[in-house]
Amino acid sequence: MEEALLRAVLFGTPILLAGLGALLAERSGVVNLGVEGMMALAALTAFAAAQAYGPLPGVLAALGVGMLSGLFLGLFAVTLRANQFVAGLAVAALGLGASGLLGKRYEGLPLAHPLPEGGFALVGAVLALLVHLFLTRTRTGLFLRSAGENPKAVDLFGVSVDGVRYLALGLGGGLIGLAGAYLSLAYRPSWTDGMTAGLGWVAIALVILAAWHPLRALLGAYFFGLLFFLQFRLQGSVPIPSEAFAAMPYLLVILVLALSGRSRAPKALGQPFERGR
Amino acid sequence: MRRLVLGVLAALGLALGQGDKLKACFIYVGPVGDAGWTYAHDVGRKKAEAALPWLETRYVESVPEAQVVPVIDRFVREGCRVIFATSFGYMDGVLEAAKKYPDVLFAHATGIKRAPNVATYMADFYQVYYLNGLAAGALTKTGKVGYVAAFPIPEVKRHINAFALGVRAVRPDAQVLVRWINAWYDPAKAREATEALLAQGADVFAFTEDTPTVIQTAARKGAYSFGHYTPMLKFAPDHVVSGQIVHWEVIYIDFLKKVKEGVYTPKNLQNVDYFWLLQHGAVEVGADYGVPINPKHVPLLKAAQMTVEGKKVPVYDRIMSLLEAMRRPNPTFDPFTGPIKDRKGVVRIPAGRKATLNELLTMEWAAPGVVGDWPGEPR
Repeated sequence: MEEALLRAVLFGTPILLAGLGALLAERSGVVNLGVEGMMALAALTAFAAAQAYGPLPGVLAALGVGMLSGLFLGLFAVTLRANQFVAGLAVAALGLGASGLLGKRYEGLPLAHPLPEGGFALVGAVLALLVHLFLTRTRTGLFLRSAGENPKAVDLFGVSVDGVRYLALGLGGGLIGLAGAYLSLAYRPSWTDGMTAGLGWVAIALVILAAWHPLRALLGAYFFGLLFFLQFRLQGSVPIPSEAFAAMPYLLVILVLALSGRSRAPKALGQPFERGR
Repeated sequence: MRRLVLGVLAALGLALGQGDKLKACFIYVGPVGDAGWTYAHDVGRKKAEAALPWLETRYVESVPEAQVVPVIDRFVREGCRVIFATSFGYMDGVLEAAKKYPDVLFAHATGIKRAPNVATYMADFYQVYYLNGLAAGALTKTGKVGYVAAFPIPEVKRHINAFALGVRAVRPDAQVLVRWINAWYDPAKAREATEALLAQGADVFAFTEDTPTVIQTAARKGAYSFGHYTPMLKFAPDHVVSGQIVHWEVIYIDFLKKVKEGVYTPKNLQNVDYFWLLQHGAVEVGADYGVPINPKHVPLLKAAQMTVEGKKVPVYDRIMSLLEAMRRPNPTFDPFTGPIKDRKGVVRIPAGRKATLNELLTMEWAAPGVVGDWPGEPR
């Protein structure tokens, strides 16, 4: 039981961090489907920097690359007003491809000084709280939420909607970068092509599951972690085939989405903001 | 005029130069950097190229199984005479393309269908797994050995069974706890499956997954493990005991030499099937190249005893003598020699004979001591 709870938190943490990153962007009105690629690129950056300079510079480098990749998405999704879904998918593909290509020389190398997972888990939980406080208690957070609900109002206030969305993508990108660093420096201290293995997509699903609420994202991520662990813990001891266990987290998402009915997505989500329209 | 002559000469030279070289092309299902299956094939390709001066190779990586025919089309246009397809799922595409290009020689890894210009090949680990099982049986304190398994297909089942037979040969009451992750490559699942097994008391690990995740996870809790596919000692120098290592180049060099010498033609591959084992050098038992057992664990295995034909022998000696026996041109030992019952008590290989190739390739039963879900288990 203790083990299950521990695994729930430790496996839930990368999903939580990446989910919080996606959540910030979405609350400002930008859909970020690039999470998987951003996370992969950050994981590689973290590993490469940790090899050269040590684990903490690795974390900082991943944070930086995450932020930059968030701003890069902003260039298309905010400034150029491209279709956010297409732009996000492009960033996902680009990040996965680039990390695979650039990461070849790091394949098959162990990491000398892995970071403790517990530290990341603690940071993840604190960040969930901070994101919640930021969104609900600060002026900037209010503008960020408004940019996702009613960008026109933000604009009338004389605040740049694009600027707010860039901020959300940048901060969110940083969180996604941390998720990547967790994977390659702590959870699985090494680098392999495609090591994110779909966690970025789970993070995107988590945002919807959590109804765009950071604290619910915390619970949701840990719940994913618990399910994930249990699928292997219970396999063989209960008469359920292993394939059914493997599908369970996804079935659960579908179930929750179906039950949640009309979800409370930010009203302007996915819509590029254009003045005077 | 001079330019024309030079041009013709250059073209001629180029044509002659190319004529000397045999062009072999490889289709990979994953990225060459996966540290597992595709990486090992690519190491084999490079070693073959280094060993055969007349060989020129080319490869395409991460080819989805449905995309194999267009890739073959391209390779044939580029002048490939031999095409290696390295995933089971390429099978039907390869057979289709083989009809379209009757002059090209195809070789399909892990395949079960052949044609006049399609051979099949496989470097198999089951003997190596048995030896690793002996070591695992000697090292487990809890009597629970963990196996993180990819897909429930005969190949993986054969390996788990050989491993379990080895474990039980040393410790008759031991269990091999199997967890399926239903993926060839999924470090997150491999990690959590290992954690679940650790929580259930497993203290020695083997696996089929294309990353060192199981090793790294086991080492954190001080558990021993066996590397898979490539040398993985460096990921946990204190905890990796041995492992399975592949040498695809042995098959590639043999095949390509025979093509070059005219032994293999696009008309006589119907019965060419490599199922190469320790005796051919296509696989190796080891934590690293040339290191059958991590020196740190040799004393432990020398101290551990097992009973062979009524006599007590150190497990280390048994491993080494069986390795020797299986490396001979005519092996004097095979793990799947009867009588072997499955875990339900049904005799699967009768006394006095070895499993046939077909029995090995279609193995669905579970060996005694295997605990866990076993999809496709015969009633």
